[in-house]
Amino acid sequence: MTRLREAWYIGLWDSLPLLRDPMILILLSLVSFLPVFFLFIFMGAEQALPALVGAVVLSLAFVGMGVAQSVYFNKHWFRFQDVLVASPVSPLSYAFGLALSTLIAASPALALSFVILLLSKPVGLLAFLAVIAVSLLMWLAMVFIGYVIGLTTKNTRRANSIPQVLGFLLGFLPPVYYPLSMLPGFLQPVAMLVPSTHAAQLAKYYFGMIPLSSAEILIGWAYMAGFVALMAALTLRKARWVDP
Amino acid sequence: MDVIEVAGLGKTYPGGTEALKDVSFRVAKGEVFCLLGRNGAGKTTLLRVLATQLRPTAGRATVFGQEVVGGAKAIRQRIAVLPQEARPQMMLSAFDHVRLMCLIRGMSRADAARRTEQVLRQFDLWEHKDKLCADLSGGLRQRVLLCMALIADPDLLFLDEPTIGLDPMGRRQVWAAVRRLTETGVTVLLTTHYMDEAEKLANRLAIIEKGRLTFLGTVDEAKAKAGVGMRLIVEAPGGNGNSREVLHPSSNEEILRVVERAIREGLKVTFQPPSLEEAFIHIVGGSIDDEAS
Repeated sequence: MTRLREAWYIGLWDSLPLLRDPMILILLSLVSFLPVFFLFIFMGAEQALPALVGAVVLSLAFVGMGVAQSVYFNKHWFRFQDVLVASPVSPLSYAFGLALSTLIAASPALALSFVILLLSKPVGLLAFLAVIAVSLLMWLAMVFIGYVIGLTTKNTRRANSIPQVLGFLLGFLPPVYYPLSMLPGFLQPVAMLVPSTHAAQLAKYYFGMIPLSSAEILIGWAYMAGFVALMAALTLRKARWVDP
Repeated sequence: MDVIEVAGLGKTYPGGTEALKDVSFRVAKGEVFCLLGRNGAGKTTLLRVLATQLRPTAGRATVFGQEVVGGAKAIRQRIAVLPQEARPQMMLSAFDHVRLMCLIRGMSRADAARRTEQVLRQFDLWEHKDKLCADLSGGLRQRVLLCMALIADPDLLFLDEPTIGLDPMGRRQVWAAVRRLTETGVTVLLTTHYMDEAEKLANRLAIIEKGRLTFLGTVDEAKAKAGVGMRLIVEAPGGNGNSREVLHPSSNEEILRVVERAIREGLKVTFQPPSLEEAFIHIVGGSIDDEAS
């Protein structure tokens, strides 16, 4: 309980500046939802709805990767990590707190998008929970990638640019906003290597927008879980509470 | 028992840079111990090792009888740190900073609010409590960071250049706070570039040069070691400084003779006590000369 409390207040410390700056929150929301807007304008609601599911999954992924900046700035700029190392605060609370701060910052945009999605395409509770779960797995994977970036970067510009470039590669290029079937055949297996493809496919399936076989569903979940585990292992390898 | 015991401590960074070499000293309870040295001398490395933020690679260091590596958990219950070049969050207020730190360190909401008010008032920040740090001056921001370190009532406080960027009043407030803390038995280890600060605060000091301890003792001992004594400046009253004579008397009799001569000839005599800065330059300069030869 003590550790959860620590994590909550560390999360608040990290996210409160964002929550106090509505423009940043609007920007965070816009990044993943902008393609949906254009799809709606040019292709109509039919095409925009699956893209909205993709945007929900991605908005969590984008904020998850934002942990890279939190890790970097709290270590090298604010020196907040050093303050906490020399205190009884646990490193796990710190790590969890920074991850939590991304969720806190994303919560207004997420709440709004889920409301829009559920109003446009009502689904059962189990399907809804499955979409939440797949979104959280995607978020967790991106949080771990963010940690690795934040821990290994010693340059302010890179701490800002690498997550954005990776966000583009993992978010906008793979079939998240558009159907997998639109990709040429030889690129489809390549797209399946990207975790956001699996996350978007599963979320669209649970919203009843695309059909998936049992094997595809199982592979999707297994791939997501495996990717999270791999990123977690990489983070644990790189993470340092006390400097070497 | 000494609060800090360091014996043969060494630190070589993974890249091969040797930041500390065979450093040994002790710090007693309630002492203000200053680490002096040029930029990159190893002061911050030493402070960070003792504050359990950095692993040493040689020798031994204990804080409250606990090894800094094996006993870090116990040490962290009793210390607080103000890191060098720490910065506040610009979109948080002074009150947010201190209160959130209280809550992170496990205080109840009521205790956190009470402690926050107490510390902010102590540093004359209460009137600025609701201002965002973006709207505070550099000195006030530094005070906010100091308040964050002090909320924990630590037994040992590490201050890495705590008064950098503060105006003279702000510096004096920090000095007064440090003195108040030591009166209650708190031990303070601080690094500084300001020699007047070390002179005013330090019970003992260590001068570090290129990772080695080149001096350990009191301020007076540092001046004595460097051979820096009283200076007398003799000049004509209202003179432009061209006829200025700087004397280094070696005895009281010599001082008396200079004063008598000045009275006789109607000259102005200025007594310039030895400064730590001169001693520091002598000691550090000496160590550079030693290395060159």
